[in-house]
Amino acid sequence: MIQFLFVLLFGVAAIWFGVKVFTTASMMRSALALLFSMAALGALFMAAEAEFLGVLQLMMMATEMSIMALFMIMYMMSPGGLTPMEMTHQKRFSLVAGVVTALLIVSVAVSQFREPSAVAVAPAPDAQLRGLGGELLERSMLVFQAAGVTILVAMIATTAVAMRRHE
Amino acid sequence: MTTLAYLLLVTLGGYGLAVVEEWSSSGRWRPSAPLLRSVALLARESLSPRLLDRKLFEAAPPLLLVAGVLSMAVLPLAPGVVPVELATGALWLNAALVYVAVALLMAGWGPDAAYPMVAGFRFLGQFVAYAMLVVMPITAVAMRASSLVVGDIITSQATLWNALLQPLGFAVFLLAAMAICYLPPFDQPVAPGELAGGVVGEYTGARLVVMRLARLVLVLSLALAVTVFYLGGWLGPLLPAPAWSVLKTLAVAGAMLAVGRYLPRLRTDWPLEWGWKVGIPLALLNIFWVGVVLLVADL
Repeated sequence: MIQFLFVLLFGVAAIWFGVKVFTTASMMRSALALLFSMAALGALFMAAEAEFLGVLQLMMMATEMSIMALFMIMYMMSPGGLTPMEMTHQKRFSLVAGVVTALLIVSVAVSQFREPSAVAVAPAPDAQLRGLGGELLERSMLVFQAAGVTILVAMIATTAVAMRRHE
Repeated sequence: MTTLAYLLLVTLGGYGLAVVEEWSSSGRWRPSAPLLRSVALLARESLSPRLLDRKLFEAAPPLLLVAGVLSMAVLPLAPGVVPVELATGALWLNAALVYVAVALLMAGWGPDAAYPMVAGFRFLGQFVAYAMLVVMPITAVAMRASSLVVGDIITSQATLWNALLQPLGFAVFLLAAMAICYLPPFDQPVAPGELAGGVVGEYTGARLVVMRLARLVLVLSLALAVTVFYLGGWLGPLLPAPAWSVLKTLAVAGAMLAVGRYLPRLRTDWPLEWGWKVGIPLALLNIFWVGVVLLVADL
């Protein structure tokens, strides 16, 4: 019961910060609201006994969203972010897309709903870690290594493109 | 009981460290200085800037304190004496430390002033390099213990401390820990004299007290992390387990604070460049070294 309440609490927090991303007029607040929305999701994962996933989410998203804030401030039209900005665009399309996606997600959630007694018990945190490690280094090793190398190549290529040429 | 032990460590240890910090900046030993200074700051008016982003400005000091406390929550003082035992404890430390960068970014942006903003963004830029140098040595430490549980990492050092087995990782982690606490010579985000206090420049009164307390908690937490990951944590002869943890932690924290007295502040781009170009290759080499040692010697 307490677990359910915490899942609910963090879920509501994630949605609330998610709404704030678009209702605020400041770039920085928008980015930080997204950060805290993601952090609330991480806490939700932890409340739902997916410990590794939760810790990873808390760690990665905070770094990524901070860096995103930095780049947003760096490249936006108003230097320093002092001018209030509208955070939404393509309103009608976004509205339709948002409602359709939300309905899809809710329908999936409802169709997959089970009685609490029928839900499988989550494996212990260390078993989760071991299982994940086994997955990454055995069955799915090729997929993850390929993805990792691809991302690395993209990063190096981006840096190379951005660098100034020395004549 | 566990909570009490940690509260005692933070209050008494933190006070001692505040005295060392005072010495490190002024060169004088004044045991009453932290008390007098905090009373003075608490009694002083908490000024707020004219055009601030109030939510970020007010939220930053508590967030910094929360990040410090959370990072300490998984580090045990003695067998079983730990606020939260997580199966991913070693990773959790890094996850909690990320919010230091978030807090300083907010503290930099909140007051709507040039110097804090420069300092906040500067720290964020440097932090990414520092965070890599925290998490990569932890990888090597966890490899030896075959576990991310912090208690297991300590017991894995019964034969030999990690500081001796992987000195490279120890050095990298210690420097990264100092940099994350923005202690001199890595104090570019506060940089008195260059950025007029940087991220804490616009904070006065009670908010400044929270900021400074949060940094001391952070120093203690990272010193405890160095102790448990590299100096055998509670392991040691004669004295009871918690005493060893506390002694080692205070020694590491004192050393971290004292070094700054003898070194000038580094140029902003140096730690960044060293972090990426020297620190990360060294951390990788350390992982390789530990892997080879574990395969060959089975320590």
